[in-house]
Amino acid sequence: MFNRDTWLEIANTVLSNPMRTFLTGLSIALGVFILVVMQGLGFGLQNGVQNQFSDDAVNSIWVDAGRTQLAYRGNMPNRQVKMRNSDMDAMFQQMDTVHAYSRRVRIWGVVMEHEDQQSNFPLRGVDPDHLMLENTTLTDGRYISSRDVDEETKVAVLGATVVEDLYEGVNPIGTYLLIGGVQFRVVGTFDDPASRWENKMAYLPFTTAQSIFRSSDKVDQMILGTGDMPVASTILLSDALLSWFKDRKVVHPDDERGVRIENNNEEYERYQNIFLGIELFIWGLGLLTLLAGAVGVANILAIAVKERTKEIGVRKALGASSISVLGLVVQESLALMIVSGSAGLITGVGLLEVVSPMIDHDYFKNPQVDFRIALVALGILAVVGVVSGLGPALRAVRIKPVEALRDE
Amino acid sequence: MDWYLREVIILNNIGKSYVTGSQKLQVLKGLTCNIKEGEMVAIMGSSGSGKSTLLNILGLLDSFDSGEYILSGESMAGLNERAAAKFRSKLLGFVFQSFNLIGFKTALENVALPLYYQSIPRKKRNIIALDYLKKVGLEDWASHLPNQMSGGQKQRVAIARALVAKPKVILADEPTGALDSVTSSDVMKLLREINADGITMIIVTHEHDIAALCDRTIHLVDGLIDLS
Repeated sequence: MFNRDTWLEIANTVLSNPMRTFLTGLSIALGVFILVVMQGLGFGLQNGVQNQFSDDAVNSIWVDAGRTQLAYRGNMPNRQVKMRNSDMDAMFQQMDTVHAYSRRVRIWGVVMEHEDQQSNFPLRGVDPDHLMLENTTLTDGRYISSRDVDEETKVAVLGATVVEDLYEGVNPIGTYLLIGGVQFRVVGTFDDPASRWENKMAYLPFTTAQSIFRSSDKVDQMILGTGDMPVASTILLSDALLSWFKDRKVVHPDDERGVRIENNNEEYERYQNIFLGIELFIWGLGLLTLLAGAVGVANILAIAVKERTKEIGVRKALGASSISVLGLVVQESLALMIVSGSAGLITGVGLLEVVSPMIDHDYFKNPQVDFRIALVALGILAVVGVVSGLGPALRAVRIKPVEALRDE
Repeated sequence: MDWYLREVIILNNIGKSYVTGSQKLQVLKGLTCNIKEGEMVAIMGSSGSGKSTLLNILGLLDSFDSGEYILSGESMAGLNERAAAKFRSKLLGFVFQSFNLIGFKTALENVALPLYYQSIPRKKRNIIALDYLKKVGLEDWASHLPNQMSGGQKQRVAIARALVAKPKVILADEPTGALDSVTSSDVMKLLREINADGITMIIVTHEHDIAALCDRTIHLVDGLIDLS
């Protein structure tokens, strides 16, 4: 069916009315172009937000303490709730399995000195799992180990900005650094591309940081990894933890500030759902645009068939079978769809390729269309091409040579 | 053993009616006639006599309601679209009053079109088509589009196109109707030459001069052959 003659025949008829062909092609190309660009923008948005999430592990639950809002069991409101080491231990006893965890103390603005360079940076005392929970990428050396935590060793892991500011190109691993006047050995460096803020930080073993810089057993934050637990179970877990904590720290059950638990799983799922919605919306919109184009093609083919009634009649008189007449119109539609659709596809992808590197925004990254979607779009075009050609083609088949050849 | 010419077309009691709205119009009322191989026959009749309908039935472009039509020994009753197309391409050639060349195709491509529908390869097709263009004296016009040619030239291209598939019968519907008298006689001369090669020629016309150039004339009156 698809030999050179057929294509020449199609080229002949398509080019015999260039304006009409051009306008039809334009509507198809525009449809595909819009579909592709919208897909790209949708992806950009998704990439951007996903990137925001990549700061922290998605499968984690974060526990924070704050000031109470409500009076409860003889306590005044506006009381600062304090989480302590003993609370952590009690919490672990409550839980069946702990996939991963890290306690955290945060100290703001500590003077750090290396040789004649010195500057102010924040620091955090953390447990080994913090590496995974915070999605930190080690660039050199090692992270805080459980031995460091157990033995309160004086080691530090430095963020990229700290290294840049204090070391000026010297490899910091193995060197000694004065942090708040205490000497620490640098064992590792890290880079957290999703967070410029974290790169200005030094990580110390939790116990060391707590005893040197906090001099109390207060814990600022607790992060729990939920491993591969299903989202529903993580929600149950975080709800259970919340009420357990509130009860233990004498916080009113309706108090929203005294103890706060944030479940990243839930948050992430919510965003995933939003993106699913956006994706469906974009596809819907793109498909509707394509549909509009297809209706245009069907319309134009119908007119073309009408105009070519006589020609089709002649062809039939000369021995054209119904199948070949059907093929002529359907293939013409298909060819028109694929050629102009590909033009729209290429233009759309090209535009995204050009624009993509110019865009750098926190919530918008890499607006690109993946190859599969391009293929799917082409597939849809082919189907739409055949379907929209079929109606006019059947009409062409029904043309009776007698009527077509009747001289007016 | 056939001391007489073989019949290429046998029409036996052909009836055909059209329904227009609530009215039924009987166009052919039991028409019977035979046409022998190699004959050149004119069909004449006033408008409404059914001559176009007869031509369409002969050309397998339209169906008939009753009777028998035997073309080259085979019955043409109740043919489907596909079979009709096959017989058309194998046995029949058409020449029309308004030429009906395809406007965006060159003379050569127009002539080659019937061969395209017989799935003959392009190269071979064009060689044969050029040969037939030569036969009608238009080999120099092979690459011209129809609108660059005169009426007589167009009709000659159309005749070449009707001949190219080597039909047994050529059906010509007012082949000179759009031509002046000089070109008309040229075209008739050409048709006569073709007929001399043994191809049966059926010409529908309303001009007596044209009919006079044929072997015999069938007069149609009100859907029947006028034998008077």
